[in-house]
Amino acid sequence: MPEFMIETRGLTRRFGAQLAVDDLNLQAPAAGVYGFLGPNGAGKTTAIRMLLGLIRPDAGEVNLFGAPLAADRQTLMRRVGALVEAPSLYPHLTGRENLEVTRRMLGAPRALIDRALDIVKLTRDARRRVREYSLGMRQRLGLALALLNEPELLILDEPTNGLDPAGIHEMRDLLRRLPAEFGVTVFLSSHLLSEVEQIAGHIGIIHEGRLLFQGTLSELQSQHRARLTLGVNQSEQAVHCLTAAGWGVEMRDDGLLSVSATTSEDAVRVNNLLTGQRLEVFHLAPAQVSLEDIFLTLTGGKTAAGRAA
Amino acid sequence: MSMLRVLHAELLKLKRTLAFRMVFVMPLLIALLQFFALWRSRTFGADFKLWETLPTNMLGIWAVFMMPLLITLETALLNGIEHGDRQWKHILALPIPRHTVYLAKFVVAQALNAASTLFLCALTVLAGLAIMQLRPELAGSGPIPYGRLARHAALVWLAAWLIVAIHTWVSIRWSGFAVALGTGICGTFFALFAASASVGKYYPWLLPMNVFSDERFAAALWLGAVGGAVAVLLGCLDFVRRDVA
Repeated sequence: MPEFMIETRGLTRRFGAQLAVDDLNLQAPAAGVYGFLGPNGAGKTTAIRMLLGLIRPDAGEVNLFGAPLAADRQTLMRRVGALVEAPSLYPHLTGRENLEVTRRMLGAPRALIDRALDIVKLTRDARRRVREYSLGMRQRLGLALALLNEPELLILDEPTNGLDPAGIHEMRDLLRRLPAEFGVTVFLSSHLLSEVEQIAGHIGIIHEGRLLFQGTLSELQSQHRARLTLGVNQSEQAVHCLTAAGWGVEMRDDGLLSVSATTSEDAVRVNNLLTGQRLEVFHLAPAQVSLEDIFLTLTGGKTAAGRAA
Repeated sequence: MSMLRVLHAELLKLKRTLAFRMVFVMPLLIALLQFFALWRSRTFGADFKLWETLPTNMLGIWAVFMMPLLITLETALLNGIEHGDRQWKHILALPIPRHTVYLAKFVVAQALNAASTLFLCALTVLAGLAIMQLRPELAGSGPIPYGRLARHAALVWLAAWLIVAIHTWVSIRWSGFAVALGTGICGTFFALFAASASVGKYYPWLLPMNVFSDERFAAALWLGAVGGAVAVLLGCLDFVRRDVA
């Protein structure tokens, strides 16, 4: 088995003057769930369309299962199932007939339809026309279509979009089961960290077409550890002093400082340094940064550093 | 192999669709019109020949008006179901060559057009036999010209390839029903003006009708069938290169 189920190198795509995906280097390891995160318009869907060969990159390459997609798309796509945005369904056909259309195209055995329906728990409603389905049922049928050919890799673009909380919960449970029970690697995009942090082992964060972070959730957390919030009588002099000593310092709107120190020993050192310069420290406290705050900070959703530090 | 698989899937997609019903409705409309016109006709001239007039009228209306309309509706409906839920992104992510998907759409449109034309021929025979029963003065109209009817129907169908190719491309390229319908309506409408002009010899929507003209016959077949085959390949080339939204 290759180390990475998906690997892109320098993947770039423009739409006119707009750079939708910029030098993207994704590495999704085998088995498990990879969460591809970014706000709306960050380039997630464009990147996913390139992974599936729906659009061509201007530069760079996509490797699936360790082999270049451009060289033999047909063979590689036999091992991939995909659900891009809203599911593509024929409302005049039943759930089972929708699966049958794809089954015929793939030339797959009939038994796979029952298997896919069973996984997404749609067996009972399979004979109803899709136009009568709820949004959640449509989404599950979309997932069944993606699972039909027993894929090794499942690529899902915002699979919980538009679902109510119960639907989101149901979909999340389903996705969590896939790697463990069926050995499927799931590559999943979302604009909400909260949606993937419970199920994804690895995440990639994309913003304005560029990959800002890639790794495990704990690596993300460790890169953005707790900071010290510091209150001192002469802020500017303190910034100068701490920066000269090698600490990362940010001035907050409320006049306090945020220092890139994490341990209690660091806090003592910072305090000693400042008092040694005859500055008066009146506030010194560590603050935890949540994953959501890190995500929002990275993607420019809010300046969480000021709030959390 | 993949072409057969895609065609097999296309058949299922037609289930419960208007596209399938249109195959029978359109020829039936012409047959009823002709049947009532002849049945209620007051007199028939001495030189009236049922098995010449009826097939010529039926295939004439079919070639110049109903078939182009059928092709417009069929292709718009066939490909409209792929635009509805943006099915292209699902279909084209499957391990099937893109050109197979496009050519299958063309083949299905052609097959539906052939089935409808064949049904028209059957209705022509039925309408003729019914009129012979209802109007005793036409009872001795002679044998049914199966060969001529089949030959003319095949020629009309062949000359329509270019129209099918144009509509396949338009209805896949643009998601709106209006573009596909607009193209068909304009094409058929301008055929009325082009018919008497010299350009009518090359006008795609007149080619099926032109097979009945000795002067325009060769151009109609060449441009219709061979031009249609070239047009479908050009449309396919565009489809294969296009980004999927």
